[in-house]
Amino acid sequence: MQSRNIILETKKLNLWYDDNHAIIDVNLKMKANKVTALIGPSGCGKSTLIRCFNRMNDVIEGCKIKGEVNFHKKNIYDPSIDPVEIRKNIGMVFQKPNPFPKTIYENIAYGPRVQGINDKKKLDSIVEKSLKDAALWEEVHDRLNDSAMGLSGGQQQRLCIARSLAIEPQIILMDEPCSALDPIATAKIEDLINELKNKYTVIIVTHNMQQAARISDYTAYMYLGKMIEYGDTKQIFEKPKEELTEKYITGRFG
Amino acid sequence: MRREKSENMEKEKNWISRFFSKKIKEKGIKGLLFIAAIFGILIIFSILFFLLIESYPLPTNIWDFLLGDKWNPAGSTPSYGTLPLIVGTLLVTLGAMVIAVPLSIGSAIFISEIATPRIRSIIKPAIELLAGIPSVVYGFFGLIMLTEFIEENMNPTYGHGETLLAGSIILGIMAIPTITTVAEDALNAVPKEYKEGSLAMGATRWQSISRVIVPSALSGITAAIILGIGRAVGETMAVLMVCGNAPIIPDPISNIFSPIRTLTSTLGIEPLEVAFGSPWYHALFGIAVLLLIITLIVNVSAVFILGKIKEKHMKSRKNKKKIIKFSEKTINHIKKYFRYIIILFLLVFSYNIIGLINTAILTLAYLLYRYISKLLSEKIKEKFAFSILSLSVSLVIGVLVIILYYIVSNGIGALSWEFISQPARDLGRQGGVLTAIIGTFYLVIGAIAISLPIGVGAGIYLIEYKKEGRITKIIRTAADLLNGTPSIVFGLFGLAFFVLYLNFGFSLIAGQITLAFMIIPTILRTTEEALRSVPQSIREGSLALGATKWETIRRVVLPPAAPGILTGAILGIGRAAGETAPIMLTAVTFSSIMPSSIFEPVNALPYHMFVLATSIPGEEAKIAAGGTALVLLLFVIGFYSVAIILRNRFKKKMKW
Repeated sequence: MQSRNIILETKKLNLWYDDNHAIIDVNLKMKANKVTALIGPSGCGKSTLIRCFNRMNDVIEGCKIKGEVNFHKKNIYDPSIDPVEIRKNIGMVFQKPNPFPKTIYENIAYGPRVQGINDKKKLDSIVEKSLKDAALWEEVHDRLNDSAMGLSGGQQQRLCIARSLAIEPQIILMDEPCSALDPIATAKIEDLINELKNKYTVIIVTHNMQQAARISDYTAYMYLGKMIEYGDTKQIFEKPKEELTEKYITGRFG
Repeated sequence: MRREKSENMEKEKNWISRFFSKKIKEKGIKGLLFIAAIFGILIIFSILFFLLIESYPLPTNIWDFLLGDKWNPAGSTPSYGTLPLIVGTLLVTLGAMVIAVPLSIGSAIFISEIATPRIRSIIKPAIELLAGIPSVVYGFFGLIMLTEFIEENMNPTYGHGETLLAGSIILGIMAIPTITTVAEDALNAVPKEYKEGSLAMGATRWQSISRVIVPSALSGITAAIILGIGRAVGETMAVLMVCGNAPIIPDPISNIFSPIRTLTSTLGIEPLEVAFGSPWYHALFGIAVLLLIITLIVNVSAVFILGKIKEKHMKSRKNKKKIIKFSEKTINHIKKYFRYIIILFLLVFSYNIIGLINTAILTLAYLLYRYISKLLSEKIKEKFAFSILSLSVSLVIGVLVIILYYIVSNGIGALSWEFISQPARDLGRQGGVLTAIIGTFYLVIGAIAISLPIGVGAGIYLIEYKKEGRITKIIRTAADLLNGTPSIVFGLFGLAFFVLYLNFGFSLIAGQITLAFMIIPTILRTTEEALRSVPQSIREGSLALGATKWETIRRVVLPPAAPGILTGAILGIGRAAGETAPIMLTAVTFSSIMPSSIFEPVNALPYHMFVLATSIPGEEAKIAAGGTALVLLLFVIGFYSVAIILRNRFKKKMKW
């Protein structure tokens, strides 16, 4: 891979929850404007790893991290870096849709507001643009002031994507964004991810291998906290180099 | 062959009879538990019933009773207006809330969102300890420190330190644990996904707290404040000791250096002075009804709000249809005007209370703050907010330390082996507190012996026998209301029912039952919690092996729940040992004679201390009061620490 396109890179990343060594020596380079999928069996550390990329593990008590995560060649774990700044540039969508108990409008406007944008016209245009980008505008434009809790699960998840688009991040992290959704809602989100990669870099955790094969450009396979294999999605699924990867892909364990 | 057959038949018969007796046993146990469960409802209704009966006929018509501005039932032309008492109660409650609300909410946010686990594990027990200090000890602290400080430094209106200010401060401190605990629960109940979602959008921790977490927990925080109000309205002994008890409306109403008298303190002082059946007597029961109604309303609204939250969490996905739909524009207009109205109200309010100049200064300060906060970065704002939150927690902990220090340093001099092993002599100025210790012991043993079977039985019935529905809701609400009923109201009920109606007279048994009624809700609640923590799969496992319901409960469910239930019992003991108001009207006497039967009065530690501190003249009495306060505090703290340690152990062990 050419280094000038690398937007995010981990170097010898290790993570412990108290005494549990959850991530072991992970080295990974991710390209801009591509979709990278992290796959692996439950408990292999893929969700933990993705939460390292915007320092969401800081919230968890007893979590210790060693190694580097370089965003545009700058280590985000450097003491001089403010995690809040990182998260403005690296957005995240969670496994379970988690809209705030506010209106649809206020959910989207939340990010810009916390960054000090209070101009009503500007907010209006950000809300509209984000909802359009997340393919939700058609469905909700006439009820922006209704509670977001009244949306369906799939709509809530797209709202959460729209919410993270509103702060115009460079990378969007998605932690199994479809695991709580039905197949139709899942298909909509997958289409959306395909659209998003024109403007953003997407890193997605999924335990649905077909999904990884459908939407990603690169795939990383993790097992027991280690990065087993990383490469072109096509290559990983058709000609895996490692035996472990092949076993998992062909469904012999996992 | 025949023998075999008959043997077989006998076996079968045996089996059938065993089955039948088992069935009957099961039914009998269920019946007993049901009776225990509805006991709470019975108590609430009998309290209301007896107070109403005894308050009839009121000496004046109801409007003069509620709005008359003179309370002077002992005068030559007696008047029975309770307005000064109502105003006194409202003022002291308002004052208490001004102090307690910011400190409690600040502490709750600090504990649930900012503190590290280590710090949390220190602060939480400290705040629980604050809840465990008996109200007479608070009153005593107020007397020896606060009122004296006010008298010397603040030039109170009538020269005495016993004022509205002193009452507000003491009550405020007493309400802090209630508000903090409930508000913290509400904050903890906010799904952590909200917080993560907010942080992931690049919000600072403070932005996440102030814009997402606190708004989501707002109804729970409101309920916490309402419960705090209930606590303040119902408190008797501490206000009685530090408020001066003059039944006057402060002039002007904002005069915090005026003495006041509350509804509760009237009930604490006067029932023992009046003749049974006199107009004054009926008027006092009228006050009790009034007080009960106020606290019922307060508690019902808190229960209602908390219930709503539970519902919301359960079906948050459902799309609720609004009956009236406002357009966005109208809502914005309403919001705007609502804000102006609130600002106007605040301005008028503060103008009346603190005067024009102070209001102007406050307004300016607020505007300045608004202006500056626009210039500050989010980082600095966060630092500022966090330091204010830490400050409020430190204040609360500081208050606890000061109280403990004063009680210990005042009492340590009186403490000796003689003090706890000798009965009192010379009206308590000489000798010790042995009879009071033994009296308290008797009262507590009796109270727990009565309340434990009822509370635990009711808890078992609610969790194990009844599906969640209307009946469980009613029983639980009754228990919540009982929990919020002021202790002095229990005392008055005990006086009317046990002492007078059943003709027990002032007696150990009357005090024991009254205290038992009071602690049933505590035991019920902890029993329920303990039973809930036992996983359903264990019950199913036992039932699948052919055990009956009661066998399952007795052999499989109760053993792991026992430590939790025991915790409830100990908390109940601690509460019963520290209470003064209910036994003051039913059981105690200031003497050093031991009772020879349960129909004789006893002395008790909190009452002994109260009388020494307020009614016995002389320096020696003050010293003895300090000693008694320390002994009482040590007892109660001892009980509470055992309960807290037990509970923490229990929690650690119970990882299913």
